[in-house]
This record gives sequence, structure tokens and C-alpha cells, in this order.
Amino acid sequence: MVTDSDHLRNQRVVFYSDDIEQIDVVLAEFLELSGCKCNLLIDKEGHMVTSGGDTNSIDEQTVAALVAGSYAATREMAKLLGEDEFSVLFHQGKRDSIQLSMVGNRTIMATVFDDQTTVGMVRLYARAACEKLDAIFEEIRNRPQKKASLDAEFGSSAKGALDFFFTE
Amino acid sequence: MVQINFALKEVNCKIVYYGPGLSGKTTNLEVVHKKAPDTSVGDLTSIATEGDRTLFFDFLPLNLGQVAGMKTKFQIYTVPGQVYYNSTRKLVLQGADGVVFVADSKRGKMNENIESLKNLEENLKEHGLDIANTPIILQYNKRDLPDVYSVEEMEEALNAWDAPHFEAVARDGKGVFPTLKRLAGMVLESLNENHAPRRSPSVVAPKASADSSGGSTTATAVATSRTGTMRTQRTASVTGSVARTRASVSTQAPTVRTTSSGARPVLVTSPRRRKRRSSMVVGIVLTSIVAATVLLHLAGIIRILP
Repeated sequence: MVTDSDHLRNQRVVFYSDDIEQIDVVLAEFLELSGCKCNLLIDKEGHMVTSGGDTNSIDEQTVAALVAGSYAATREMAKLLGEDEFSVLFHQGKRDSIQLSMVGNRTIMATVFDDQTTVGMVRLYARAACEKLDAIFEEIRNRPQKKASLDAEFGSSAKGALDFFFTE
Repeated sequence: MVQINFALKEVNCKIVYYGPGLSGKTTNLEVVHKKAPDTSVGDLTSIATEGDRTLFFDFLPLNLGQVAGMKTKFQIYTVPGQVYYNSTRKLVLQGADGVVFVADSKRGKMNENIESLKNLEENLKEHGLDIANTPIILQYNKRDLPDVYSVEEMEEALNAWDAPHFEAVARDGKGVFPTLKRLAGMVLESLNENHAPRRSPSVVAPKASADSSGGSTTATAVATSRTGTMRTQRTASVTGSVARTRASVSTQAPTVRTTSSGARPVLVTSPRRRKRRSSMVVGIVLTSIVAATVLLHLAGIIRILP
């Protein structure tokens, strides 16, 4: 069962521009050092947080959903084997490969790379990047939470959008 | 759990189609994929067995367009309905903001419906959610079959908490859009209630209360064993830079404004009135000083002139 403290910890679902700027700096540094093509930061529900590098050829939303599903399934396998989780997953392809690294307890960094770099380099720099990202998330989690404020017209605008979209 | 990303100006919501095996969850998604404009939906991705039964989930990204300056997106999933796949079903349900329960109306299927609904309740509970407080719609599917339960029988057996319900023939596309529209409205309504200033009117919401928060799963059952295949239908870009023809809906939306009964009155003072009040205060202070000086002079304590 999920405890109240787990619940509170898992409430971080609002990302502000300042936070994303900090995160993007870490991702850009990681891409440069490791020589990877791109990376995607995905929350465990499968929503994109941010991305870096060349993602033009990737359907980010679908990749995010599949990464989250893959990671969730692997975590269950880990539990069955008596592990808390497998913190790094690696899928090797003929041309491109992908590494999934857990950042904190609710975010996944998916890194796509080809033969311009090596698995060792990716793994080395990914670990450092994940530590930095985890520190940023920890800071976000620990600061007083301000309430995210949507536009006052959100309700009426949403109603109009739904009426418009779902006309048969 | 709804994700609000102010950096990307995006709102992301997760909707899950739940229900017993072969009740029509994937068909619902196929209809949405087919009927929605190409610019608003992405690929329909299915992780299915070779016999086209859902193995892990089907996934369809749907882009509602700009809502008050935020790109509003729904990630729509189905779960595998078969009892055997409960652990994967639980994983897909994680972080759901709203659920469509697709029930099979065919006579003889009620026990399967009830079992699946109970399973939904248990799995939501494991994620820290109460089914009564989660946006949920019941869809009574396959209404075109000759031998079906009446809607009253379905309501009696399944709808203990008076959730909205819709009749559907998903195979023919009937009832699919109304179901999704209502649920999307309930999800956005709960978001509006939690994150927008009070004056904004409601979205749809006859029954909109949501404690949509996720949590870690504690599934222990063994999952898949059958051969899986992944199929992707029709390609239509949905991400980032797509120019949306529906992007202007926010300007077409009704501009009704309501004031919440809970809003506190605020004392408003005009600049002119504030200036007049300041002048009066300065005048009173100066007069007091002059009067005090004259009195002190008369009393002989100080001398104004040498």
C-alpha cells in the first residue's frame, strides 16, 4: 500500500521554467561529454518532462509511454528476484541503442546513442548526470510548494475545446 | 497524475480504458484514432499477442489543442482485460487521471464485468486512489447484440456510486466520442478546480472530484508468457511543432465568468480618494504643531520670537 508520505513525495507533477532550465543544463553537459544523440527525461507515468539533443526522428510521446511501461515491468521483475529495482536498463540495436537510467524515484532518463560513443562512456557520464538531476529534484521536492496556477479562463476554454474536438 | 509543465506550456493527462477481456477497450481506441483529425492524434501503438489480444497496453496520444495557452494532451491507454494479466494491468493504471470502464452488455457476461470492476477498485486502492473519488465513466458496450442486459440491470449491478454512464456500440463507433468527451471534461474539471483561480467556470462535470495521484505499485504476480508482437497503425505526427487547426478554440470558447461564492470581498480605494485622505492627514498634523507651539509660548515654556 502507498503510505501518506509516499503520496506526498509523489505529488511533484508541476515543472516550472526555472527547474527545466537547470535540468536542461545538466542534460546538455551530459550529451556533450558522452557523445550521445539525444536524451529524454520522462516521468514514470509516461509523460515527457524535457528532452535534449536531436529528437526530430523520434515520436517522443510514444517513446515516453513505452519507456515508462518497460521500466515499470522491469521493476516488477526486479521485485520478483528480490531486488528493489534495476536502476539501469540497456537495449542494444544494430545502429542505435538506448539506455534507461532511474533518476530519484519517479523520473527516467532515456539516452539514445550510436557507434559514435561507447556503452562505458554513456554509463559513466549518465551516472554523474543522474546524481546531479537527483539533487535538483530533491531541492524541488524540499522547497515550499507553491500552488501551480493555470489561467483563469482554463475552465471555459477547456469546455470550448472539448465541444470543438468531439463533434461527430 | 496530471502533469503541468510550464516550461513546455503543456498539460498532460492519463486516461485508462479498463474492463473485462473482449469488452471493446481496444475497439474504442481504434475508433478514436480513426475519427479524430490526423493532426490531433499520434500513432496507435498496441503491444499485443499474435492473436491480437492486448498483452501490455494500447497507447494513443491525443492532442486537444491550446487551452488557455497550455497545450493540453491526453495519453490514452487500454489494459489487457484477461484475468491472467493483472500485474501488467496494475502497472498501466498507475498515475491514471480518469478511467473508462467498458462493460460487456451481452447476457451472461455480468460476472466478468463485476469481477473486473472489483479488480479495478483493488488496483486503484493499491495506487492510493479511491474509486468513488476518481473520475470514472461506465460504458455499456455492445448494445446492438440481440440478447443484452437492460441498462437498468447494468446500472443495478455495476454503478454503485452513480457514475455517469453511456451506451455504446464501439464496433460501429457509436457512443465512443461522448464517453471520452465526458471523461476528458471531468479530468479537466478537476484540474481546473485544483489549479485555476476560483472565478473560472466549470468544464463539464456533473460529478467531478478527483484525487488523482499516483504511487508506487506493489504488484507481485507473474506477468507475461505468451509471444508478443507490437503493431503500429497509421502515422500522424502529433508532437511539438505540429500546427494545430484547432489551436484557436480558446478564443472561440464561451467567455462566461462567474464569481465563486467563496471569494472574499476586497476593499478597493481609488487613487484620488487616497490623495485627498493624505492631504487631510498632513493638514491636521501641521495645525496640531502650530496650536501646540502657540500654547507652549503662552504658557511661557518656549518663546517663538526673541
